[in-house]
Amino acid sequence: MAVLQLQLAPPMFAYRWPGWEVVVGIEVHAQIKSRRKLFSETLTSTLSEAPNTHVSPYDAAFPGTLPRLNPTCVKLALRTALALQSDIHLRSAFDRKHYFYADLPSGYQITQQYSPLATGGVLELPNLGTSVRVKQIQLEQDTAKSTFDRRRKLSHIDLNRAGTGLMEIVSEPDMRSPEQAAEYVRTLQALLRAVGSSDGNMEQGSMRCDVNVSVNRQGEPPGTRCEIKNLNSVKFMMIAIASEVYRHIDLIDAGGTVSQETRGFDEDRAETFRLRSKEDAPDYRYMPDPNLPPLLLTSKFIDIARQSMPELPRATRARLLDVGLTENNVDVLMAVDSGRDIGFDGEMKQGAVAYFDALAEGRDPKVVVNWMTHELLGQLMSRNQTFSHNPISVAQMGELIDLVQAGTVTGTGGKSVLRHLLDNPSSTSVHTIAEQLGLLALEAGEETDKALNDWCKQAISALPKEAEAARKGNERVLNKLVGRVMKLSQGRVDAIRTKEVLSGMLVQGK
Amino acid sequence: MHVSRVLAAESWRAAVESRNKCINALIAVAPNTSTHGPSTSQTKSAKLEGLSLAVKDNIATRDLRTTCASRLLSDYTPPFDATAVRLLRDAGASVIGKANCDEFGMGSLNTHSAFGPVVNPYDPNARRSAGGSSGGSAAAVAAGFCDAALGTDTGGSVRLPASYCGVVGFKPSYGIISRWGVVSFADSLDCVGVLTHTVKGAQAVFDVIAQHDPRDPTAAPTHVRKRASAAVRKHAWGGEHTDGDLKGLRIGIPQEYFPAELSPPPGLHTLLSHLQSHGASLVPVSLPATRAALSAYYVLASAEASSDLARFDGVRYGQHVPPAPGTTASTADVYAHTRSVMLGREVRKRILLGSFALSAGAFDNYYLQAQRVRSRVRSDFDAVFRVPNALRAPPAASTSNPITDIVAPNEPGVDVLLHPSAIGPAPPLPSLEETETGKEREESLDTYLQDVLTVPASLAGLPALSVPLNPRSPHGDETNSDIGEGEWPVGVSVVGQWGADELVFRVGKVVEKVVREMKS
Repeated sequence: MAVLQLQLAPPMFAYRWPGWEVVVGIEVHAQIKSRRKLFSETLTSTLSEAPNTHVSPYDAAFPGTLPRLNPTCVKLALRTALALQSDIHLRSAFDRKHYFYADLPSGYQITQQYSPLATGGVLELPNLGTSVRVKQIQLEQDTAKSTFDRRRKLSHIDLNRAGTGLMEIVSEPDMRSPEQAAEYVRTLQALLRAVGSSDGNMEQGSMRCDVNVSVNRQGEPPGTRCEIKNLNSVKFMMIAIASEVYRHIDLIDAGGTVSQETRGFDEDRAETFRLRSKEDAPDYRYMPDPNLPPLLLTSKFIDIARQSMPELPRATRARLLDVGLTENNVDVLMAVDSGRDIGFDGEMKQGAVAYFDALAEGRDPKVVVNWMTHELLGQLMSRNQTFSHNPISVAQMGELIDLVQAGTVTGTGGKSVLRHLLDNPSSTSVHTIAEQLGLLALEAGEETDKALNDWCKQAISALPKEAEAARKGNERVLNKLVGRVMKLSQGRVDAIRTKEVLSGMLVQGK
Repeated sequence: MHVSRVLAAESWRAAVESRNKCINALIAVAPNTSTHGPSTSQTKSAKLEGLSLAVKDNIATRDLRTTCASRLLSDYTPPFDATAVRLLRDAGASVIGKANCDEFGMGSLNTHSAFGPVVNPYDPNARRSAGGSSGGSAAAVAAGFCDAALGTDTGGSVRLPASYCGVVGFKPSYGIISRWGVVSFADSLDCVGVLTHTVKGAQAVFDVIAQHDPRDPTAAPTHVRKRASAAVRKHAWGGEHTDGDLKGLRIGIPQEYFPAELSPPPGLHTLLSHLQSHGASLVPVSLPATRAALSAYYVLASAEASSDLARFDGVRYGQHVPPAPGTTASTADVYAHTRSVMLGREVRKRILLGSFALSAGAFDNYYLQAQRVRSRVRSDFDAVFRVPNALRAPPAASTSNPITDIVAPNEPGVDVLLHPSAIGPAPPLPSLEETETGKEREESLDTYLQDVLTVPASLAGLPALSVPLNPRSPHGDETNSDIGEGEWPVGVSVVGQWGADELVFRVGKVVEKVVREMKS
């Protein structure tokens, strides 16, 4: 609960630790959303799959196996670098980082220590009106997953994840509060999803953060930093940073000093704990990987990546506002859009924004967005479904809007057709469905006028009290009578015309 | 054809059964499958139909254990064949067994093997070394167990045993034969090599396995191979060993390979003068970075070994040796214990040396310095060869035909270099005690000189062929233990520019022919 309040607090958060300055830098490890692993042809896996079912001899580091770079991973990392306005290096290289652990089959992780794919860059945080500089972006391998069975005192190793491509995105220490750190991670997450390079799913572990925190008294140089490893939710990251800040302040206040450490985070106790000191820091014995030639990119390759870049969130927002949608409309559309599935290998799946764009082709964007947000999304929500469940094609939805706009189906009738389509998905034309349901609006003419007169009379005699009130000028009650007529006509008559007829009858009857 | 294959199979099996026990060249012998009918090669080209092949035990075979002659991997059978093995099997070769070697390819006497040393078959009673690390491969060919053997050469491991055992040994250009399935010792130096009786035989095997393999990221792409062959055709000597006249063949004699301490092997001067009298020019050349090359080699090979062998820790790969009960061991101790117990002394030494070279404080002064030396070694070679280095030719991204895009020849460069393969004939095997304590490597001058002869070509990735300088007459009396020092085999090496493997074979055939003429 406390966290939620923090989140909503205005950007003046320093009141929590007056007189102190906080410096935060973040290393994000984002799994590349590629079909295959970084250096093998093995398909990548999801958490739901049985352990050790996505493993080739290379992934398990069988002696004699060799890596082969998956160019799709490079393309997706390039998209990230372009989105972050980084300097992409035409020549980058792979290095080995050595350590002994059972989740690292070969004894080294292939990464880009000495010549990363890209350096520099910036991530703007529009909600805070600030930005965070990016230091570098590098490609590397994910490790296997190890879990410890305390009861049986056994470590379980699942190699499904071993060798999946990761992008390590390192920020400069530009953040000054847990809230800024959170906004950075959320904005980065949305950006990665927008370009399709990662699904950025922290709960599923496809995006993880290491956070560097230091604290100093105002006016003094930055303090000693501590790194908190492996934070896997934005909420826990904020708690971890705050807890680490208080720890530093307490230490300094008590006359002590902060020592440079790598720390973990205990979610239950909401505090960090020491993993190792600087003195215990392992020497990773980095070495250029002798198996992998330098990664040489041509400017043409980068241009192609640039041209195939999906629209970035900022541009989408600007464009939607530009066609006349309200901030609120845009927020809804983009929030729904950000929940869309991220396709493999950069394939862009259709989300709410793309659906809107297609519908708005040749139609009034405001009418379209009302149908989408109020009716379609509203109906889906009442069915506990997300937009990905929407069975109505753009063509069908467009036809429905057109039929209503043309008066062929009334607004009420249109909503009935929509509900029907959600309950009974079909590819039949909306006109046919409306016809089958008897929901086509009655065409203007003597017959319709006669029928409307009959339904109005029925409504008045069925609801005498309401009729009396309406006669005295009660608008709201008049609407109730209109509703009754709509029901009697199954929504086939025009509401405004009905109102006119009813009013006429009531005045006459006076 | 079917019948002859079975007969061939029986003949090698008999030789192995009678002589392998004392030579110890093979550490695993293929089970008798002749009753299973013809091999799967029937539908393929079968260029090497019936060829019997021994495979060094650090090259993966799916049907035979691949132990790298290490106790640590004594139970390991890979789930796949190395690409070179697969190509040879597809061409009709049958694998007769796995050849002994120094553990993970580290050593030059084939004494660092969990299976015991290989005894030089030239005269087993004399108990001399077969050389290393591909000692079992060379000995298997020399003993007549097989037509050909695969070895690996990281710093001379094919050429040296070939020289000691009196067979032909070829280390190709780096990147020409796939390393898929070769258990890495030092990835940037490891090459699959071929050992046979004749140069022609070595070339036949080489031709089958010199294929681009997409599974080897260090494999030279096809267009680079073509560019190298085109450069050789255009700029190098174009003759054959069948020509009486060697006019135009320029042979470089690298002065650093003939130090004052070393007396050239008997026969070398005769060979050189014969070559000259046939019209070849002998050109003294200098490769000034040679001296520094050795230190660079030991730093780089050990650094890569410390990385490549990291997976052999008894948890991920290799037999686990639990620490003594009751001892409290950290995670690091658990790994260290297995590695200390199960890896041999030479391997442990190189891992420690390599780990140091990569440590944060040493990296710049050792590893990076060694890389700079390595690039000087390459430049040295490029400066003496007439054929330009296809790997350094301007990248031909913009031209439509990369093959024609060859830089001008280096005149007056040489076609090949020629030097002894070893500083002398096979030394006696050390006693068991000497092996355990490491005494046998303490004749440091010899070790140094020996490495001078083979390591530079490894650093530069060049093709190098060792041809026997004093071949035994066919079917010599092998029981005669009274062999004079001068009769023990010694080889001469032909070294060419990167990608000039075919030229090296051609000159190798010339040498082979001249050596025969010398004998008669």
